[in-house]
Amino acid sequence: MLSDPAVPGLRGAAAPTGPAGATETATVRKAAVEPATAPKAAAETTAAPRAAVRKAAAESAATRKAAAREAATAAETIVTPRTADAAPGPRVTQESLVQARIADLESRFGDPDDPANPLSAARVLAADEAGELPPAAERLLDDAGFNAEFVPTALGGRLDRLDTLVRVTRQVFRRDVALGLGYGITSFMAAANVWTAGSEEQRRRLAELLLNGSKVSVAYHELPHGNDFVRNEFRADAAPGGFRLHGRKEVINNADRAAAFVLFSRTDDRPGSRSHSVLLAERGQLDPARFSVLPRYSAVGVRGCRLSGLDFDGCPVPADALVGESGHGVELALRSFQLTRSAIPGMGIGALDTSLRTVVRFALGRRLYRRSVMEIPHASATLAGAFLDLLSCDSMALVATRAVHLLPDETSVYAAAVKYLVPRMLTDTMYDLSIVLGARFYVREGEFGLFQKHVRDLPVLSLGHAGSAACQATIIPQLSRLARRAWFAGDEAPAELFRPRGELPPIPFGRLALASGRDSLSASLVAAVDELPSGSPAELAVQALVMRMLDQLRQLQEDSLSLTPQDRTALASPASFALADRYAVFLAAASVLGVWRAAARDGGDPFLADPAWAAAALHRLARRLGQRPADLPAACEGRVREEVLRRFHERRSYDLYDTPLAG
Amino acid sequence: MSVPATDRPASTEHTEHSVESLSSWLAERIALYLKRSPSEIAATVPLAEYGLDSVAALSLCGDIEEDFDVVLEPTVAWDYPTVEALAGHLAEELRALAGEAR
Repeated sequence: MLSDPAVPGLRGAAAPTGPAGATETATVRKAAVEPATAPKAAAETTAAPRAAVRKAAAESAATRKAAAREAATAAETIVTPRTADAAPGPRVTQESLVQARIADLESRFGDPDDPANPLSAARVLAADEAGELPPAAERLLDDAGFNAEFVPTALGGRLDRLDTLVRVTRQVFRRDVALGLGYGITSFMAAANVWTAGSEEQRRRLAELLLNGSKVSVAYHELPHGNDFVRNEFRADAAPGGFRLHGRKEVINNADRAAAFVLFSRTDDRPGSRSHSVLLAERGQLDPARFSVLPRYSAVGVRGCRLSGLDFDGCPVPADALVGESGHGVELALRSFQLTRSAIPGMGIGALDTSLRTVVRFALGRRLYRRSVMEIPHASATLAGAFLDLLSCDSMALVATRAVHLLPDETSVYAAAVKYLVPRMLTDTMYDLSIVLGARFYVREGEFGLFQKHVRDLPVLSLGHAGSAACQATIIPQLSRLARRAWFAGDEAPAELFRPRGELPPIPFGRLALASGRDSLSASLVAAVDELPSGSPAELAVQALVMRMLDQLRQLQEDSLSLTPQDRTALASPASFALADRYAVFLAAASVLGVWRAAARDGGDPFLADPAWAAAALHRLARRLGQRPADLPAACEGRVREEVLRRFHERRSYDLYDTPLAG
Repeated sequence: MSVPATDRPASTEHTEHSVESLSSWLAERIALYLKRSPSEIAATVPLAEYGLDSVAALSLCGDIEEDFDVVLEPTVAWDYPTVEALAGHLAEELRALAGEAR
């Protein structure tokens, strides 16, 4: 479908969309995909290649030029004017638009290994050491109008699909997790509440703030209560004309510079889940004598993020600050979490992508035992394993984000599962990679210095509003219902769920349900069993692994049905949490299978259509579940290793999209 | 301690449920979540005051759906926060269902 005619921020000439579009797009900064950007990308190839990989770099120079051409072509697609009565031209699809946005960002960021690049990895590291976000990178994102990614198209932004948001923002996380979080995702987390339940005026105003480049903070957190929001004490007391705010919000990103705050506030003294409300307060409306910004926290990772807090002392806000219904704050939080939990883990995949590329470069260049590290079987298997884990994570992230559009009533479980499992797998995989990197993993500067930064930054994805245990606690109460009603009973998911480049209908902000009795993703794995091809050794391997996964679902069903009531509360035994873990891994397997089958059916990406990666990824997930599956056919691993090298030399991303990179 | 049997024929017997029988079913089930005796659960005290967390509230909702063959909003225990309120709401829902069945 063609729901996104305008791409504000890309070419000032973009056509307005939606009711608010006419005025909104005019105010969006005219950050163009300048024709000059393509030559700039090509010029990167003049950067001196590192001695260790001189040959590889020389080989890739040609492909990088090709990538720059591809980027330029994609950018051209965008400028084709498109109105209802447009002349026939290249068909502008959601896919061509997102490719152009990514190519634009890549060419703006340039080659991270080029010392002359103000956005190089060395500069990113220096900014981290200084505890700031790289100023040049913030300016770049301002110039690109990046905040428009968080604003729905109907309000003048570019947000039409969650999987696209992930894909574009991943390019920022690829460079710097702190930048991704501190520049933008904080604002997205705040805005998700307003897009879900805000009034017309609140939505319009927030879109205006974001499109003007302002930050918005999301203030849920109070240190004494962790993820137990129901106990939050920050108060919004009813007062003439609105509310008065009392209390503290802690570890709040951008509290010192945000133009507005989304505040999760107690509006009723009674215990329970109807005693809180969400408020949207603009900094400019607040009495400066009645609120203050708390001192900044110093963190292990994302050191450039400005984490501080807010302290209110009877600060008045107007009645129209209330977002959604009074007393419905917990419900609104749980609904908007489904958007953020689905999307944020997939963005973090960018950091693993860069780290894998860093370690491949190391392994190709370093010689030990009279051969390159890449030729040492343990090292090369670790790199292939990291690639497979990345693909599994991306398959799961893809399914979770597309499910928001296609299966909104099932999203509560998938969002929690992806937010639980993906950050965890990313962290585990970074550890595996650090072993190959050896002592260099411990060095904070130089050629491999960015690796340790990503190691420190990535765990932040497991913290914040939805810690791992909180996500498992979202899954636990739904397990017995799914076991009774859904597993082995429901309809399979539409094939669209698994298509990385497939078009999607708009985000149904109002239709996200708090709990579900269905699980179409699992049903897809069950339904696939009878239809799997069994020709090649790799196909047979997939089939055998899927049969084991089916056994796993049976076991999950049995174990879920025998949970005692106490084991279905927040204070459940560790066994309940382990059950939620196994279920999340099972969902990752179902996602991998779905992505492979869709690619094989569509005849799309030849690597994704090849059963080799699916077999190898399922094999790793089976082992994660404690199974001991039969060894894979050697050809599977060979195919995966070959792809690791191809994407390195051709400068392509390691995710489902095989995206051309500037570096 | 006995939990009402789950093999009871559903839907046809909706009309048999009184607010009283539903209240005692709820008190027994909630007591299991809280590791208390059903007699300790007063009908008019908000369940959150007993420490019934939001995860348990969602599980309880699933139990009700299963044993009484109804579909409820997952937030039902938030909007009807006491045994008395929840039993009253459930009785209405079951009456409505029985009405539809006829």
